[in-house]
Amino acid sequence: MNDRPLNIPVILGTTRKGRMSAHAARFMAAQIARREGIVSELIDIGDIPMPIDDAGEGIKDPAFSEKMIRADALVIITPEYNHSFPGLLKHILDSCLKEYIHKAAGIVGVSAGPFGGVRAIQDFLPVIRELGLVNIFWDVNFGNVSKVFDESGKLLDEAFVSRADKFLNELVWMAKTLRYGRDNIALDS
Amino acid sequence: MAKQKSKMICPKCGEEMNHHADKLVHPVTAEDAKDVNATLGGLIEETHCCPGCGAVESRRAE
Repeated sequence: MNDRPLNIPVILGTTRKGRMSAHAARFMAAQIARREGIVSELIDIGDIPMPIDDAGEGIKDPAFSEKMIRADALVIITPEYNHSFPGLLKHILDSCLKEYIHKAAGIVGVSAGPFGGVRAIQDFLPVIRELGLVNIFWDVNFGNVSKVFDESGKLLDEAFVSRADKFLNELVWMAKTLRYGRDNIALDS
Repeated sequence: MAKQKSKMICPKCGEEMNHHADKLVHPVTAEDAKDVNATLGGLIEETHCCPGCGAVESRRAE
């Protein structure tokens, strides 16, 4: 098995002004940074060129594509807007395909209300599957997010450290397993 | 499974790539529509990974 460090970027999936999801994204990135042997970066979809006069791979951004190629797993931070995930998040994710196949994904839901983005996550799962990603069965749900972080982004509920840890344990296992498969197991073997 | 072609070689490091996935894709252009595999109902896009550097490439199956 090769010794490249695992690469697990965190995707902040909203461009809305005042987004509390940014606190969740920075928190998850910090939890990943505590682990040895993993490289990560925070990818803000608001920083990616996003034409709206085309869609799918027609709007592929080379820099985002390269980041997805390097990734072994994705942590996707999604708020819940009108019971689903943001359209712009899907617009960006739809711009790649081969880059995702047989890689792990974990979804972090964020909501102002109590449910922690569970409806957005449920809506998101068929999309994840069609993109060729393999979703883990742990989520992190930041419900009532204004009570989880203060305005500066300081975590107010330490329980999320343990929850993020369990989520990342599963995600790392899946990322390692899928990388081994991508590297070593041929489709017809 | 789609008919096998030659192994892909990683354009970044030159290592032989591993063909680990076939994805059924639906044609979005008239050009693609001509090549649809009627049995499978679409086109097969192969995905290959480089065990050396992690690069990803894809190609249309024959």
